[in-house]
Amino acid sequence: MLEVRGLCKHFGGIRAVDECSFSVEKGSITALIGPNGAGKTTAFNCISKSMWPTAGEVWLEGTRIDTLPAHQVTRRGLSRTFQITRNLEDLSVLENLVVQSKISGFRALFGPAISSAERDKAMGILEFLGITRLAHEEARSLSYGQKKLMDFGALLMSDPKIILLDEPASGVNPRLLDEIIAHIRALNEKGLTVFIVEHNMNLVMALSHKVVVMAHGQVIAEGSPGEVQSDPEVLSAYLGVSKKAAVEAAAQTASGALDG
Amino acid sequence: MSTQLDVSGVVEARKSREETLATTAGAGRQAWVPATLLAVLVALPAVQVFDGFNYVLHLGLYALMYIAMSSSWNILGGYTGYISLGHNVFFCIGGYFSGMILAYTGISTLITAPFAGLVASLVGFGIGFITLRMRGPTFIISSIALLMVARILFDNWNFVGGANGVTLPQLTIDVQWAKIPYYYAMLFIAAAAVYCSFRIKHSKFGLHLRAISQDEVKAESAGINTRFYKMLAFAISAFFVGMAGAVWGEYITYIRPSIFLIILIAANMVLMSILGGKGTVAGPIVGTVLLIAFNEFFVATLGSSEINIFATGLVMIVALLYFPNGIVGTLAQKKKLPRFLDWD
Ligand SMILES: Nc1ncnc2c1ncn2[C@@H]1O[C@H](COP(=O)(O)OP(=O)(O)O)[C@@H](O)[C@H]1O
Ligand SMILES: [Mg+2]
Repeated sequence: MLEVRGLCKHFGGIRAVDECSFSVEKGSITALIGPNGAGKTTAFNCISKSMWPTAGEVWLEGTRIDTLPAHQVTRRGLSRTFQITRNLEDLSVLENLVVQSKISGFRALFGPAISSAERDKAMGILEFLGITRLAHEEARSLSYGQKKLMDFGALLMSDPKIILLDEPASGVNPRLLDEIIAHIRALNEKGLTVFIVEHNMNLVMALSHKVVVMAHGQVIAEGSPGEVQSDPEVLSAYLGVSKKAAVEAAAQTASGALDG
Repeated sequence: MSTQLDVSGVVEARKSREETLATTAGAGRQAWVPATLLAVLVALPAVQVFDGFNYVLHLGLYALMYIAMSSSWNILGGYTGYISLGHNVFFCIGGYFSGMILAYTGISTLITAPFAGLVASLVGFGIGFITLRMRGPTFIISSIALLMVARILFDNWNFVGGANGVTLPQLTIDVQWAKIPYYYAMLFIAAAAVYCSFRIKHSKFGLHLRAISQDEVKAESAGINTRFYKMLAFAISAFFVGMAGAVWGEYITYIRPSIFLIILIAANMVLMSILGGKGTVAGPIVGTVLLIAFNEFFVATLGSSEINIFATGLVMIVALLYFPNGIVGTLAQKKKLPRFLDWD
């Protein structure tokens, strides 16, 4: 589905992403994990073309997408959310969703801002997320968690084939987190491919079919949650960050082994 | 693959509520206000039957020109969020294009004005291709630089008369009626600009422009071709300014860089839009009328010295202290907008 080959992104001397290669299978939930500063967000930015990669190739369903501008990547079925939510503050929630919907052509551009079909679809998505009552609120008046939900809803508006979620669980209360997980699962069961950056290990291990681990801009491990958890390199990468994280990772390995 | 969700039952239930919301949203809009205003403006030249109202007509024409230009500017500056302080370059291009045709062939600018608008649009599209890569303050500076470059160019371009410009022939009609064709031309341009601004605001294009003004990275990632949309907005925004310039040149009977290419004209467009409320349909109109009214008042009371400019500036500052988003913008935000101004 999505294939990344030798992806590089350098900021001056910093190699934020350095020769990364991995793939995301169609219909899977794949997680990208790694310590802070590993280059996960930068990798996402390069894949979705919010940034131009320094080198490397990105392929989506057999087409090369790293040569395209960001809006065309989105139009080919790859949509993403941002780690620090980016919303169109002065627009209503409904408008924030409709902005992402595909337009049929030049004439539709000068048609009504929100067609009735789009309104129905957007309201359906808001219903699915349980935030219909916010439809006519300005995005700026939403809480952080609500913004995350709105972002997630906007993503669905573009009929994506694959979604990239950058830390959807950070700063979200546990109840909302459960909701988000349930939404991701439900969508995945309908065939949507999900590629997710996440810090919450419980979430990653519970949700994903495959895990890609990054550290210092490089992919250090790739495999099933079970495989990755017992990978010594992964443990040391987390060890390198802090002792606590390593202990946690080890504990999770144990619980993962019991579960699995 | 289907990511569509099966919530049709709920959607049906919501739909009725939605419809009431939609109708109430449109109900505030007062279509009769612009319609009445237009009717009054169409009838205004009738006062000339009594002669001696030339100044009224002049003031009307002048206000209509600025309504056209600030509404046009608002498409780029208000909806899209790109503040251009060099927009009078298109005023100049329109004026010179039609003015030179008039000087050489005698064809009135009233006929060639739409083509002047198109030329201004094309130039705007091209300039936008380069300058719209910049954002925020850098873009503003680039637009001022554009104005300076244009001034140097036109000052030294001998074919169009250099710094002295070119004198244009007048229509051979009685002085009493001489202003009327230009008045109607400006009225037409202003009405077209306001209507266009209204249509864009309510179209998908307008929604996308507003998204661009909020967060361009997000807009692009939402699937919007930000680059092309910005250029298109720039081109449309140059169109009516170019047309106004064409008519203005013949009206004042000469074209000269020191008339078209002074920053005051661009500043007027910006101030009028901001005072009235940039990003709103009625804002540029309200701003234009107020700014011209203040100016006339202070010229009448303080004389046409620098002091009247100072006084107008002072009023402007005070107004923006109390109406940070412009008069229409701030009132709308506080939900205190009088119904007759609710055009959006
Ligand atoms: N725009 C940028 N300019 C310079 N350095 C950056 C930029 N974005 C990210 N970096 C650097 O790239 C590295 C990876 O960052 P990031 O991709 O955000 O990590 P992660 O998302 O894995 O926590 C960090 O060292 C960060 O400082
Ligand atoms: Mg990150």
